[in-house]
Amino acid sequence: MREWWSKTCGALHFRRGLDDDLSDEMQAHLDLMTSENLERGMSDDEARASARRAFGNLTRTQENARQAWQFPRFETILQDVRYGLRGIRRLPSFSLVVILTLALGIGANTAIFSVVYSVLLKPLPYPHGERLVWLGESTAQAEGISITWINFEHWRHDGDSFENMAAFNGTDLTLTGRGDAVLTHDWLVTSSFFRLTGAKPALGRFFAESDDKPGAAPTTIATAECWQRRLGGDPNIVGESVVLDGTSYQIIGVLNPGFGFLTRSADFYLPLGRAAGASRKRSDHGSMRALGLLKPGATLTQAKTNLDAIMQRLALSDPGPEDDHRAFAAYLTEVMGNGIRTTLLVLMSAVGLVLMIACANVASLLIVRSTARAREIAIRVAIGAGRARLVRQLLTETIVIAAIGGALGLLLAGWCLRMLIVIGPRDIPRLTEATLDLPVLLFAAASSVAVGLLAGLAPVFNAGKVDLTTALKEGAPTAGTGRHGQAFRSTLVIVEVAITLMLAFASGLLVRSLIAAQNADPGFDPRQLLAIELQLPESRYKSDDSVRQYYGQLSQSLRAEPGVEDVGLIMCPPGAGDCGDYWYSILEKPTPARDDVPLSLFNRVDANYFRVARVRLIAGRNFNDSDRAGGPRVTIINERLARQEWSDPRLALGQHLKVGGPYMEGSTLEIVGVVADVSQMGLDAEEMPTFYYAFSQKPDSAMVVTMRTNGNAAQWMNSARRQVSALDRNVPIQSLRTAEDWLGATLQRRRFATLLLGLFGGLAMLLAAVGIYGVLNYWVSARQREIAIRLAVGAHRSTILRWAGFHAARLAAFGIVLGAIGAWIASRWLESLVFGVTARSPLMMLLAGTAVIAIAGLAASVPLWRATHTDVVCNLHDA
Amino acid sequence: MSTVDDPRKALEFLQGTLEVLILRSLQGAPNHAYGISQFLEQQSEYEFLVDNGSLYPALQRLLQRRWIRSQWKKSPNGRRAKYYRLTPLGRTQLVVAKSRWMRFVEAMGRVLAPQR
Repeated sequence: MREWWSKTCGALHFRRGLDDDLSDEMQAHLDLMTSENLERGMSDDEARASARRAFGNLTRTQENARQAWQFPRFETILQDVRYGLRGIRRLPSFSLVVILTLALGIGANTAIFSVVYSVLLKPLPYPHGERLVWLGESTAQAEGISITWINFEHWRHDGDSFENMAAFNGTDLTLTGRGDAVLTHDWLVTSSFFRLTGAKPALGRFFAESDDKPGAAPTTIATAECWQRRLGGDPNIVGESVVLDGTSYQIIGVLNPGFGFLTRSADFYLPLGRAAGASRKRSDHGSMRALGLLKPGATLTQAKTNLDAIMQRLALSDPGPEDDHRAFAAYLTEVMGNGIRTTLLVLMSAVGLVLMIACANVASLLIVRSTARAREIAIRVAIGAGRARLVRQLLTETIVIAAIGGALGLLLAGWCLRMLIVIGPRDIPRLTEATLDLPVLLFAAASSVAVGLLAGLAPVFNAGKVDLTTALKEGAPTAGTGRHGQAFRSTLVIVEVAITLMLAFASGLLVRSLIAAQNADPGFDPRQLLAIELQLPESRYKSDDSVRQYYGQLSQSLRAEPGVEDVGLIMCPPGAGDCGDYWYSILEKPTPARDDVPLSLFNRVDANYFRVARVRLIAGRNFNDSDRAGGPRVTIINERLARQEWSDPRLALGQHLKVGGPYMEGSTLEIVGVVADVSQMGLDAEEMPTFYYAFSQKPDSAMVVTMRTNGNAAQWMNSARRQVSALDRNVPIQSLRTAEDWLGATLQRRRFATLLLGLFGGLAMLLAAVGIYGVLNYWVSARQREIAIRLAVGAHRSTILRWAGFHAARLAAFGIVLGAIGAWIASRWLESLVFGVTARSPLMMLLAGTAVIAIAGLAASVPLWRATHTDVVCNLHDA
Repeated sequence: MSTVDDPRKALEFLQGTLEVLILRSLQGAPNHAYGISQFLEQQSEYEFLVDNGSLYPALQRLLQRRWIRSQWKKSPNGRRAKYYRLTPLGRTQLVVAKSRWMRFVEAMGRVLAPQR
């Protein structure tokens, strides 16, 4: 305490006085010693010199004594910073290279980190977002399937680990009565939903519990965006009504702008309990999920145990077909980051490796500079600079440079981030929210300092080895070129080559995968195929007959368009992903155990679709007009499902598929055909077992009308729009795209990841090339005189080339071996991102190795050329 | 027994010993830095060799703790020098430190060269 106080005083007032005082005191000390020496009979000079020797290092003593009064070296730090800045001005081109290298490395890292932070790490914008848990049900085969309303009610009531719970269910409703019919995206939510997500009403109120019960008057809440766009931003909208799917809902509130839930943009929120509350059976599944807010201190495991116990109890008190169902619970942050986590982590590691290369380059540049400064350092040591002091100064200088690089990197990151958001796939949650916020700034600052320390330590190790006498005597620019420094720089080159190889290998794999995915056989012919996604408003098309009639008429009128060859219907087109899966069993086969009932996707097509899309029929027949409603129910399965059950797809024909499996209700369908697999989940995803209903027997109001045209499919978009609107202007077109776009969209994430990894691979190659060039060039410079002598005594230039080339080749070889090992180990991690090739592709390793050798050779060629063209006369004269 | 320690080499100060020794050297009368170093060397029969690089910082630390004070005075031979003297606080510290060091030295002795 006392020391701190006196230090503060010391820092404030008598610093200058102290300096003078100390030097006076030491001078007096010397005088005393001198006079004693004189008394002993020494000569004047001798007495003075002897006293000087006996006293020791005057400057350092004074500095040490003064430091007792100082705060932890704040002043010296400032001084070092000033000195570092002066150093930058003195060597502008050197500093520019270092700063740009660091800016690239830190900028790329900061940009990717801000994405990682926003998508994976940032707390959700809800109060206590870190305690929000995503809830679903689980079976032996599937995790996180929908919850039934009755189970949810029990969970909500008895879930002691939860503070609150809210269920939600996405739905699409047609808004009519306000201009053209439009399809709106809506959420059905329980009344607690807004409290859980912390939403605030901009107008009106939120659902009360009484709005959320069966029989309550229909009410709705509009989002701010919907209010602006669809309701004209009317400030008196509360109390008015909107017609959704033919039902009139009273608007009771408008949400604050900016409130969003998951990645889905929404128009209206409706009370979920009003409809679902009427549910009577514990196995009535829709697509409802729930959010739970954990009590403070409750763990996820506790919560899951809690809910599982409820499920076990219900299995006894209210037995049914789903007694084996358990609860699924995962943190909302994790659920939202699923699927993109690995990609982002791979990108983050890749960009981290790029930063390491940048760091190695800077370290190697700094070593060159510090060897060039060996004389200066030697002088500093000679006049009394302590080793610690010297280290501090060198480190501060590097950190100053790193800080400037970091600041520039931050600018670069801001710019890159805007690019990333523009080119990034739309379906990455919260990507658009990525900004350079505080945690990101801290990351950038921390990485700058870390890089400064890491790169700065290299010359520091070197500086400690400076041999005073030689450094002072030599005075040549190459003074202090130690074997040690060269070895260290060679190690840096090896590491750079290794990292570059790893990045080249990884980006090569991804590029190869992208090409493979783009060329993957989708199982149908997507060219010249246009897809119109429709959703018939249920109020106008209540009966199956009306739906059949509408689609029949539309198909007919579209077929009449010139250039349209044929029209088919499918519920869920290839590339649209999972539009529903369910259990099934084969009646002719042994009944599977309850836990072994297989799952399959299901889809609906009309009799034309397979022909229109050119999906190959493998066995049996297509749907046809004889498959009428009320007739024997039939299905067509895909090859994957057939092969899963039978050795030969033909054996499937005539057998019966029971929808829902042996333990759930469902119809029994006769298998009449087997078709080829199509890329349902995406071009780069594995095909899944699928069975197709006949649209004629099981129509759906939401279908995709596909048109086979005889030209560029996009040209028929206008006629498609015209025909849809001509038939019924209250039917909204949900989307209108070519089948190629549907498929291409499935590769968005892959393209994004490949583009970025490719960029990082390229950046790594560039930086590594600069690094290799720098090190070899220096190696040659340091040996110029030796080379000149060798040439003078008769060595051939090819001997010199072999000698220098061997040195370069050895470094590259070490690096490549090291990198190959690293890539081999890391490839396990890439497996989930790779498609169409194995992650441990020897061919890719060979290609990456060749590329790295080519880059290294290119970078080495200039120094090697310099080595063989050393001017003998000049060099020997200089010596 | 082979000699591990070279008796011609001066002893190094253990951490914290120099401060106590300085306090002790000022117990009798105020003294200047050179005087203190000579006192310590003579009293230790030249076992301790006082390095100015350590002495001056130590003096500064003692000043900071207000255990000693300094003042410019004329030396007996007419030269100006900075004299240090103990403060009352320093005197107390010396007593405390001295008894602690004596205990420490005895304990070390008992362990290193036990007398049976």
